[in-house]
Amino acid sequence: MALELKSSDNKIFEVEELVAVQSETIKSLVEDGCADNVIPLPNVDSKTLELVLDWCKNHVDMKLDEEKLKEYEDKFIEVDQAVLYDLLLAANYLNIKDLLNRACQKVADMLKGKTPEQIRETLNIVNDFSPEEEEEIRKENLWAFEE
Amino acid sequence: MEVCIDFLNWLDPDISVQILMYLEDPSDLVHASSVSRSWRDFVIANGLFKHLCLRMFPQLSRVARVMELNKCGAKEPVEVGSSYSMEWESLARDHRVYATLAQVCTSFIVEDCISEAISASSTDHYPDESIHNTLLPAYTWRASYWSSKGQSNPAVPETLIYKLKSEFCVITEINICPGQELLSSLHIYSSNSVRFRMGHTKGPNDLGSRHLGDSLPCNADDTFIWTYTSPEFPMAQEGCLQNFRLPEPVLCIGGILQIELLGRVQRNEIDGLFYICVSYVQVVGRTLSPTFCVEILEPSGTFVLKNDMQGKFYTPPSLPKNEAHEISDDQLQRGFRYWQHFVNRLEGNENAVEFIEEYESGEEEDEAEVEYTL
Repeated sequence: MALELKSSDNKIFEVEELVAVQSETIKSLVEDGCADNVIPLPNVDSKTLELVLDWCKNHVDMKLDEEKLKEYEDKFIEVDQAVLYDLLLAANYLNIKDLLNRACQKVADMLKGKTPEQIRETLNIVNDFSPEEEEEIRKENLWAFEE
Repeated sequence: MEVCIDFLNWLDPDISVQILMYLEDPSDLVHASSVSRSWRDFVIANGLFKHLCLRMFPQLSRVARVMELNKCGAKEPVEVGSSYSMEWESLARDHRVYATLAQVCTSFIVEDCISEAISASSTDHYPDESIHNTLLPAYTWRASYWSSKGQSNPAVPETLIYKLKSEFCVITEINICPGQELLSSLHIYSSNSVRFRMGHTKGPNDLGSRHLGDSLPCNADDTFIWTYTSPEFPMAQEGCLQNFRLPEPVLCIGGILQIELLGRVQRNEIDGLFYICVSYVQVVGRTLSPTFCVEILEPSGTFVLKNDMQGKFYTPPSLPKNEAHEISDDQLQRGFRYWQHFVNRLEGNENAVEFIEEYESGEEEDEAEVEYTL
């Protein structure tokens, strides 16, 4: 059975029910019998929705092939920050657990092995500590700042 | 141009927590909490270091509260972050203590954590074959082992109980060398499998009257509370040092470790009974004293985690203090020589396993003096 999803920019996507119910949000709608008409998704634009549906479809197709699935996931998540955040928000809104986990992990990967200054640069954050506060923090955790 | 966003101030807090929980290296979490005020506040407010420590060591779920001892400086600490309140101070204290704990626990320096032997469930030919023989590798001093009493039923298990160097240790693995008869039959009296438990004594002074090598087995269930039980590991019938690596490093709270020897495999030719013998035991890990100590709250079994802020991390090589006055001079000498040897070997070796392999080959060497009675 096919469902119709409408993105925030009014694009309609026709999707197999089996694929769409990877989203717990959509699954609930189907179970409550509210999925007969087009389902509006005002929080997800078409570009992101296309990606999300690709994820869902591949998770249905490759369900039994763990290695292939992992390879797909690793490639899928290699996107720039803007797309990553869009995916993250969409996964949260649509309640797609594995996509949310993978996206969160990817964001965390951006922070791993970086000094505070490098994190600030990556995410464009201003250092608002006073010099005394910075010194206090360094002293508290000398071990983590040893290079 | 790449979009760069301070996601912490933009995403749902739940999602941000989920992201930061993927940081498994404590130093990554420290760096994250040093990025800006809002980041630091976020890490403290959500107890992320506590979560990290709990994931690494589920044994910490028994912590009732934390304390900081010997905090230097009479002045109020610099108030980094937003509003100051009792609850905030408690969260900030948790943050500092668990951050330090995460660092100490993930340090790579390992050592043998046994302080003394407490008791064995049974002993043959006491005191010649008592548990204290397991504290010294056979080839360093003389061939020696602990032996259980004989049993006609091979299913009868045995236990060995040891006290660790501090009440708060991280244990990664245990090495055991079964006892082997070197004179005649060359039989190896291993067990079928082993299992480990860690815990603490029930009351504060339950071990006060116990003498080293006492042949009377203490009733373990009355004396100790076990807070961790390992899976069962198969043991090979080989007279060499066997490594039993725990699936995850374990926090031993209370400093007591029990080795359960399950299933007897070797029958003695002379009396036809099954025995278990162990010639050497090594408990590998890291002691967290004096930086950390614990106070066990009875009867709840929860404990207070105390961080001594002036306590330096115990870094080998450093000779252990003689805490047990029951140890005779002779045993002290042997222990001292053993430690010197151990320490000299360990210096420069990042991995104690190299050290262990040297001992393994040593076990095969012929001994000049072999005293074996069974």
